[in-house]
Amino acid sequence: MSRHFRSRKALVIAVASTLALTFAGCSREGGGDGATGAAASPGITDTTVRLGISTPLSGSTAGPGTCTVAGVKAYFGAKNAAGGVAFGDGKTRTVEIEALDDGYDPQRAKANYDSLKDDVFAMTAGLGTPTNRAWREAAIADEVPQVLVMTGDPLFSDTQESPWQLGFVPIYQNEGEAFGKLLVASGAPHKVAILSQNDDYGAGYVEGFKSAVEGAANIEIVDELTYEATDTSVDAQITQLSASGADVIFNAMSLVPLVVSALQKAQQLNWLPSWFLPSNTSSPGAVVEPGGGAAFPGIYSVSFAKAPASPAFAGDEDVQTYLAALKEHGDYPDAPAFPHCQWSWMVGATLEQAFTTMTEPTRDDFMRALRSIENFEAPLMLPGTAVTTTESGQPAVPTVVVQKYNGKGYDTVESLG
Amino acid sequence: MTLLELEDVTASYGPVQVLDGVSLSVPENGAVGILGANGAGKTTTLRAISATVRTGGRIVFDGEDIRGRRPDKVAALGIAHVPEGRGTFGDLTVRENLRVGAYLRKDRKGIESDIEYCLDLFPNLQDRIRSNASALSGGEQQMLAVGRAIMSKPRLLLLDEASLGLAPTTAKAVYDAIRRLRIESGIAMVVVEQNANLAFTVVDSATVLETGRSVLTGTSAELRGMDEIRRAYLGG
Amino acid sequence: MAGARMTTAALSDRQRSWLRRAGPLLLVVVLVVVPLVFPESVNETIARIGVFAVAVLGLNVVMGYAGQVSLGQIFFLGLGAYVTAYGVSNDWNIVVVFVLACLIPAFVGLLVALAAARLGGLAIAMVTVALPIVGVPLAKRLSEFTGGSQGLSARFGDAPEWSGLYDDQWRLYLVLAIGGAVFLLTRNLVRGKYGRVLGIVKKNENVASSVGISPYRYKVLAFTLASLIGGVSGFLYMLVIQYTSPETMSFGHSIQLLAAMVIGGAASIVGSVLGGAYYVLVPQLTNLVDPSLTALLQGAVLLVVLFVLPGGLASLARPLGRGRRSRARHDPAPLITPSATTKSGSAADTPETERQGHP
Repeated sequence: MSRHFRSRKALVIAVASTLALTFAGCSREGGGDGATGAAASPGITDTTVRLGISTPLSGSTAGPGTCTVAGVKAYFGAKNAAGGVAFGDGKTRTVEIEALDDGYDPQRAKANYDSLKDDVFAMTAGLGTPTNRAWREAAIADEVPQVLVMTGDPLFSDTQESPWQLGFVPIYQNEGEAFGKLLVASGAPHKVAILSQNDDYGAGYVEGFKSAVEGAANIEIVDELTYEATDTSVDAQITQLSASGADVIFNAMSLVPLVVSALQKAQQLNWLPSWFLPSNTSSPGAVVEPGGGAAFPGIYSVSFAKAPASPAFAGDEDVQTYLAALKEHGDYPDAPAFPHCQWSWMVGATLEQAFTTMTEPTRDDFMRALRSIENFEAPLMLPGTAVTTTESGQPAVPTVVVQKYNGKGYDTVESLG
Repeated sequence: MTLLELEDVTASYGPVQVLDGVSLSVPENGAVGILGANGAGKTTTLRAISATVRTGGRIVFDGEDIRGRRPDKVAALGIAHVPEGRGTFGDLTVRENLRVGAYLRKDRKGIESDIEYCLDLFPNLQDRIRSNASALSGGEQQMLAVGRAIMSKPRLLLLDEASLGLAPTTAKAVYDAIRRLRIESGIAMVVVEQNANLAFTVVDSATVLETGRSVLTGTSAELRGMDEIRRAYLGG
Repeated sequence: MAGARMTTAALSDRQRSWLRRAGPLLLVVVLVVVPLVFPESVNETIARIGVFAVAVLGLNVVMGYAGQVSLGQIFFLGLGAYVTAYGVSNDWNIVVVFVLACLIPAFVGLLVALAAARLGGLAIAMVTVALPIVGVPLAKRLSEFTGGSQGLSARFGDAPEWSGLYDDQWRLYLVLAIGGAVFLLTRNLVRGKYGRVLGIVKKNENVASSVGISPYRYKVLAFTLASLIGGVSGFLYMLVIQYTSPETMSFGHSIQLLAAMVIGGAASIVGSVLGGAYYVLVPQLTNLVDPSLTALLQGAVLLVVLFVLPGGLASLARPLGRGRRSRARHDPAPLITPSATTKSGSAADTPETERQGHP
């Protein structure tokens, strides 16, 4: 708000100034409450730092949205209980989280940002591309960090375009690319059919996949179809693709019911290819089981987080610490229903990593510290993935590993088969 | 000179055939009544003329077949419908309600003098000119509905059950005014009325409907003379 | 009784004439001063209220005044926002952009209305439901113009050097000027002959056509006008939010707009402003109470207002300085009168259908 201290040349008519006196109580005084040192940014004192989150807590995306708050809240709740976080400037601070609901409405997200920006040190963890885009430019103008946000939009990871931003989760292209690489590495010849949503979501996946298989002698794309996000059935596309002789289908669909019916339709046609699904439509319980996924030689997806529900991680120390903290500090008593809970926990760990190397209590220095993390294996991360923030154009988690459905959950695989 | 001619008009609400061959002829400056029991199709006949129901057959007004036109176009030809239940606007004043009827007119002076004429015709309205129509009694609302129809300077007035729900003296006052209107203005009328005695104070002739069909047409005098008409519609 | 009435009428006439002269002047002074005295965040909130007040006003024209159920108003806001974003990012003259942001939604609204207004009341509602439902995937699909699901950012309306104002102040002035002009024009329209005719069509289509009014034409006009005003609100949305995406026109927001109109007060100019304030402020207030219960709290607010003030918040403002006559005309209007109900409610129809039961 310091720009509002600038002297103003505004032509204030006589009546206006008289009335202005009446309103003097609410006239501008600038922001920046609670900052101790002259150099300190808003939202940070010698003992506390405050983070803001705008995320959907109501509406159709409330489930994942609630998780984006719960994980980071649980992480710092546990840290605060243990005394706080030791910052690189030698001070130990407790971390406060202020989360507001935007209902996945860009306009409300902007309003939330406006109301938080003078109170918080940084904004973080919020879910949604449009809701984060809505105040991205304002955050740049105000020099407020908007970091480790949950969007697959590459714009947030472009250092040039977005100096005060950093995306957290892998972008769509990362996911498609990971599967493409696995196919190429398998060495065996594969015929691939592609069915994708006709928008930038589907296009992003396909772009990543194609960039990985380009020039590979063993991969042939035999047919490529799209569908509209409004379609209620993709039966026609599946029927056509089944005739293509493909043994792999790259299926970039974002709608759970369509994925389930696509899996079922293929079985009806007795077409049983290896099947790739995006991370957000590959839930064992909601998609693969109802779709009868066990019938296929393999259902593949990508991930970078340990699934707490998976038996493989039931005894994992990270997972147990996480689940206990989620219950105690995250206001999230149930088993996490969305991976966003785990992601958000990792956001907490990544923020802490940046805090420990901050030498000044300023947003500038925070961004510097945040952008210099390399190969940080945050808790809950799958082996083979890590947080790396030094590469422009890439989100904080640029790598995913391909996993295969095992009848209950997913296991990481090195090759197709 | 015939102003309005209905030939074998049919109409139905969905699968229910309501009119099954109604014929009717209204001469210029004439007034024709429609008699009949409940459900005989009297109101629907008026709605057929004003085009608020889909119809078959022929409806000729002033030499033109108007069947199938939009209701507002029919109204613009000079056919004013006073619907059963009046349809006055409770949150508008009496004067405003009257002005609604003059929607298509541009002659300010003529409108003002016609409002004066309506108030003269229905003196009760004179006292309530600034009141909202919702404050009027049933009889006054009926007068207002007729007045609104007059305001469009129609050539043909369709009157539907103007006495419905009114006390006998009030009903008589309404019909007295309508008769006076007819005499003074020469507007042709089609009058649907349960109370045939009242209708006969206005009309010269009438047609009797039974289950959607014209079964009998005659002058007032002829019809009054028939026993079955007297028994069925004239209370004795 | 009548005498007493006359006295009150005369009194309020005198008050009214005073208010008539002083009221607007006072309002203009307040509107001029407000942007100068408040901090940036308040200015931005007021500007957002302005955006949605205009959107609610558009909805009020078609629904409150003309009685046609429209559940697609947010589509026209979104369309106006997209036109604005596209024009601004292609460096078109801002006046041209504004005109297009009005005309394109109006034209689309006209086409939709020409088809939909022939249908009965609920059928119109269904057609309008389809608008946002088709609009969202369409906006994702036409990424060449819309930026796909990532949306479009466009920044314009920065304060010019000569004004000496901050950007937020300048933008708020623009919102107040454009929004104010739309409100003034709409107010004059609905208080005049056009508004009276709309009211007649809303209340009784049969009577309307019996005096020569074409209900069809007026429904189309109202719908087109609402779309145009929706386009203006879309322009203002871009001015204030500077970003639009398919999410902007999601169906849920259309329902929220409808709730805002009902809460503010149907068929009320003041109600439209209050509706805009509700739309913007209540989510912010519920966030202060408990961010995880916002939907529940908003529902509770909606119910409480409707039970306590069935005519909406505008019924609180009504006794202030309005004359008896105009008060009567803007009585707690029935919220929605789908023409199907109007028709069967009109006495000309009901008895006839009743009679069919026992011919």
